[in-house]
Amino acid sequence: MVHTLDAVETLPAPTVVAGGWVGRTLASINYAIVLLSSIALVIASFVLTYSVASRYFLHFSTDWQDELSVFLIVGAVFMSSASIQERRGHVAIEAIVGLLPARVNHVRQIMVDSASFVFCAFFAWKSWLLLAEAWTENFHSDSTWAPPLWIPYSLMTVGMTLLSLQLLMQIVLALAPRRRPE
Amino acid sequence: MTTGTIGLLYGTATLLVMFAGMPIAFALGAVATVFMIVFMPASSVDTITQNVYEEMASITLLSIPLFILKGSAIGRSRAGQDLYGALHAWMHRIPGGLGIANVFACALFAAMAGSSPATCSAIGSAGIPEMRKRGYSGGFAAGIIAAGGTLGILLPPSITMILYAVAAEQSLGRLFLAAIGPALLLVVLFAGYTGWRFRVEYRAAVAAHKRTGVMSELLRPDELTLRDRFELLPRVLPFVILLTGVMIALYGGFATPSETAGLGAVLALMLIASIYGVWKARDLAPILTATLRESTMLMLIIGMSLLYSYVMSYLHISQSTAEWIVSLQLSRWVLLTAILVMVVVLGFFLPPVSIILMTAPIILPPLKAAHFDLIWFGVIMTIVMELGLIHPPVGLNIFVIKSIAPDIPLRDVIWGVMPFVGLMIFAVIILCIFPEIATWLATAVMG
Repeated sequence: MVHTLDAVETLPAPTVVAGGWVGRTLASINYAIVLLSSIALVIASFVLTYSVASRYFLHFSTDWQDELSVFLIVGAVFMSSASIQERRGHVAIEAIVGLLPARVNHVRQIMVDSASFVFCAFFAWKSWLLLAEAWTENFHSDSTWAPPLWIPYSLMTVGMTLLSLQLLMQIVLALAPRRRPE
Repeated sequence: MTTGTIGLLYGTATLLVMFAGMPIAFALGAVATVFMIVFMPASSVDTITQNVYEEMASITLLSIPLFILKGSAIGRSRAGQDLYGALHAWMHRIPGGLGIANVFACALFAAMAGSSPATCSAIGSAGIPEMRKRGYSGGFAAGIIAAGGTLGILLPPSITMILYAVAAEQSLGRLFLAAIGPALLLVVLFAGYTGWRFRVEYRAAVAAHKRTGVMSELLRPDELTLRDRFELLPRVLPFVILLTGVMIALYGGFATPSETAGLGAVLALMLIASIYGVWKARDLAPILTATLRESTMLMLIIGMSLLYSYVMSYLHISQSTAEWIVSLQLSRWVLLTAILVMVVVLGFFLPPVSIILMTAPIILPPLKAAHFDLIWFGVIMTIVMELGLIHPPVGLNIFVIKSIAPDIPLRDVIWGVMPFVGLMIFAVIILCIFPEIATWLATAVMG
């Protein structure tokens, strides 16, 4: 039997996607991103392995592998943050959750999600500004390889925007009147 | 407004949003951003995203997801069970050999996987049922696994150590080496206690047998043939070779820590594919998605913690607090004890990642002023955070044990774990008296 390793895994996967077509679209995007990000992690591992192998077996060193790995991993992290939020996998202190009545806890959750949304949306907005600046000013990293910085910045921007949308959807769903069984 | 007042506001705001249940990453980022807007020039708010990106784009930090990938690949294969089985086969003649085999299996697995919960889960899922079948009490079996699992954040490649190296600006290689001696000390202490406790339970079983005629499984000798002993070796040896290979790559100067992480992940994936046939997309998907989830959660906390520390430093909060602590002119051991007690208390609420990054700018300057070796302190701090993993009421490993052995009452698990808490405190005291246990290997290898 394989046991789960982290808290995120212990949460049930959302079997029915709430939020209508918006929710379904976000869930599909998150699924595709998790798939691509997983592949990015494996590619980063191979890139770094190639770096060692080329240096010791082929006797030449390259200058792009560290930076490419950084792009792949930072991109994977930011892009998949919405998917983690979908399962509420961003770890929090839940010491008071069990002490509060259900209604108060519901209000607390909405307030916490709203504060998280405001921060993430602000960060996403600032990321868009940074991306625009990097694109128009043609920013490059200061390494010898010097790749354009709009690449990692765009991954950060899209990732934080998706995270903000995910949070917004969770707030809207929490505020929507609950259906009672007839 | 004075720096002290701003610092108090900063700390209070952080505690409020965190205890309200806001995810740690967002809470740290939000508090830092609000204080940037209110107390710092507008230009610094404009560079907030660039700051976070540049902090996270450190190649040392980015070895973390790859070490997680390596650990996840090994953790989700049958390697843990095979490792435990092989060690049991070779150690079953020693009194308490089954329990000691579990301690050793935890240490070896922790060194391969680098995660405490993963070690508890992988070794405990086979080890706890086997120990209980062989007559060990539930609490004793749970204690062995919970404590053995904590070695995951001490033995290289420990993620906690990587973060400490970044936060304290210390050599990662030196820190990894410094952890090996204390980890061996803990293994010896755990194994010694296990052997002693086995004898206590054995004597009780003999007395009960004489009194009631009921024979405990503890009294039945293990019957393992030479074939049993050799059968599991081919499955285990490649992983031990991987472990030593990764260490040689790192310390032989063949690869940087991030390259070692990448190489380790590739080799782990190749090994589980060749030995356990885990290579199809449906087999690899849980490994990769679990890696991604854990990495994303951790890296966002790290990125926001670094932003939080940057604001604390810009507003002179960390410097002023550190200066205030130094001005108290505490004796160096009182200072160390106070800091370690604070780490234990913070460990009740925060993951080690946040504790290190949030407290390092405040606690390291006074420790340096008190002439403590920061590499040595990194090891001590990690052992204390290990203690937090098994210390009731919130020790993570206790809950991992409860999930793999739900029929052992929580009370028994907690009582089973407590002697190991005592052993860890004892190890910290020994390390304070003999700091060379931590520093000699690093000095011998790296000068």
